[in-house]
Amino acid sequence: MISKEEENKDLQQSQILSIDDDYSFIRQFIDGDKSAFQVLVKRHKEKVRNIIYITMNNSALVDDIAQDVFITVYKNLKHFRFESQFTTWLYRITVNKCKDYLRKMNVRKIFYPIEDGYEVSEHTSPVENNDISKIVMDAISKLPVKLRMPLIMKDIEGFSYQEISEALDCEMGTVKSRIFRGREKLKEILQPLEKELMN
Amino acid sequence: MNKDLRNSELLSAYLDDELSSEEKAEVEKLLSTSLEMRKKLDDLKKAKQYGNLVKRIPESPYFETKLMAAIEGHKGQCSLIKKWIPAAALVAVTVIIMVVMKLEPGVIDRLWEDQKVAIAGFYKENLQPVLLAANLTNEDVFNFAFNNELPLDNTRRQYLLLGYDDSGKEFFEIRSSDHKIKRESYNEFISAMNLNDNQKKTVDSIIGSYSKALEAQVLVNEKNTIAINPNLWNLRKAIFADLLVASEKLNKSKFDRIVPSGITDVEKVIVVNTLEKLKNTSGDQYIFVTPDSIFEESYQFDSKLYEKEMRELEKQIQLNEEKVKQFTLNIRFDSTYNSYTDAQRVHSFRIQIDSNICRVDLPEPQIAEIPIPGMATIDPLVEQATNNIHFYAYKIPKIEKTKTEIKIEYYNDDSVYSYVVNYNKLNLDSLAEANPGLDLYNLEKLKPVKPFDDTMLIKYQFDRDYYHKYYSDDEFKKRMEELQKELQQLSEELQNQKIRVHREVTGTPKK
Repeated sequence: MISKEEENKDLQQSQILSIDDDYSFIRQFIDGDKSAFQVLVKRHKEKVRNIIYITMNNSALVDDIAQDVFITVYKNLKHFRFESQFTTWLYRITVNKCKDYLRKMNVRKIFYPIEDGYEVSEHTSPVENNDISKIVMDAISKLPVKLRMPLIMKDIEGFSYQEISEALDCEMGTVKSRIFRGREKLKEILQPLEKELMN
Repeated sequence: MNKDLRNSELLSAYLDDELSSEEKAEVEKLLSTSLEMRKKLDDLKKAKQYGNLVKRIPESPYFETKLMAAIEGHKGQCSLIKKWIPAAALVAVTVIIMVVMKLEPGVIDRLWEDQKVAIAGFYKENLQPVLLAANLTNEDVFNFAFNNELPLDNTRRQYLLLGYDDSGKEFFEIRSSDHKIKRESYNEFISAMNLNDNQKKTVDSIIGSYSKALEAQVLVNEKNTIAINPNLWNLRKAIFADLLVASEKLNKSKFDRIVPSGITDVEKVIVVNTLEKLKNTSGDQYIFVTPDSIFEESYQFDSKLYEKEMRELEKQIQLNEEKVKQFTLNIRFDSTYNSYTDAQRVHSFRIQIDSNICRVDLPEPQIAEIPIPGMATIDPLVEQATNNIHFYAYKIPKIEKTKTEIKIEYYNDDSVYSYVVNYNKLNLDSLAEANPGLDLYNLEKLKPVKPFDDTMLIKYQFDRDYYHKYYSDDEFKKRMEELQKELQQLSEELQNQKIRVHREVTGTPKK
């Protein structure tokens, strides 16, 4: 069976191979071929949706935020400068949108401490009912955002430190430190359930 | 930096293969000499593995469609609005409103009407036919005709129920239920009508021809909007009437019991013509129930475009069948519906919310959005037949070893009946069913039977209404007593074989 890490490595390799493709689709889009944008969406939407899903721990918000991300991409794609990978730019937008939504939700909680329409527990999907996955996602959502983001990008999505530092716009040393602290904190939260989870 | 902390961070990066060769050598040296570091590495490995336990979100088949629609909607908007413009505009608008209000006080009402149109447009975006996702079976369509209910998702956890209140006004309910209620009304109907395989195929094709018409009647979108076409009430009658006419052709004697007054040739022609019209006229009027309003509006559902999208989806299903299987459209009961208690505010729509039921009472006039000629002729036929046909749904609980009896509940219209079966006692009917050619004097090689295989029980419950209809209470009692006597005799005969038969097996159900 292929481990998650090997799978991620394969993914990284295929990403490298696909940079040129992304660039060519962006060029087609700039030249007026709108369908090239749809190809870009098709290629990257699931990764974007998953980052949002785990960061927000709320499936009801995923498509709204992902839509917001791709609309931003659509509006600014003409100004893309081909200096970095398309995905780096895409994930940076994704991360920033998640941060915006989290900030809005925190503000909302101040005004509506009880009746919050976006409470995590209110919208559960079949996936969220999966106990183990839900336990781990709940634990991740307890991490501070600055530790949560790099941890998700590394341990779930399999990004390299370089990609994370570019997407989060911070130093590699900071990424390294935050991933370590995120893991320490996550382990601490899940300590009481360790046996059940590992079985 | 604290040396321990630095070493720990190095370990974490070592796990990720993100160290330079010098750092890697340093960590490996530390690991070879320090037990504490090795333990720390194990701990970090465990923490890293937690990521593998998180499941990915299921794919969203409509994401691109919705996104492109949203992009189209954004195109007209100017994105580079300077920060000072809103403030200046606000001041200007305030001044204008003050002047306009002074000169023309009714303008606000007109603006409000315009706004309502805009809100309606917002909630009408991207509506999808929920019944298509529910994969309607013939049993579902049949149940819709006879029991007024339609499943809204493929897990059969949410149902749409159509009904009429005491004053004859229509209402619909969206119910979610944790119980799985077993319905086999269609098979019961086929066996009650005594139809052979070919005749059943005819009925199958009649029912199948309505599936497509039904699919576009209930639409939902990601904004939790539910749009219901009032034509559903007419379609239900149509399926019912179509089945009645077919039943008359297929088995006249059984049909006469359902509609004792019979059906004239003129009525048949009217029914057939009306049904053809109904099937081909879906109507563009929908009732929209949204998280902040209920309204009736016209809406053109483009079934051809949707079919095209579905063909695309089918391609995806073939590529990734497992993932698409999880695709279920769910309607959430929005707590904000609770605020719709004031009839004035919702323009005489009335909505009631329970934890698992959402009921919407429709305003006057009654459903007649699509003028269908001959509908008035079908109505009494359908009503007469409805009064004479009843089906039951059974809820059979799990059998617990510690108990000797099970309580079977069955539902008929709004009533719940219960029937207690002692499954430790011998049940002749089940035994005979499981053992063709049963020899009562040689019972050693009998196959064991489960209580819910008891055909006598099922048949008795199905026929109960038939008995009530065609026999007086005294006649019914007499027949039951005869049956009990027969069983008594059989019991005595079997006593020599040391097997007991209990009369309770045909006890009268209690309401």
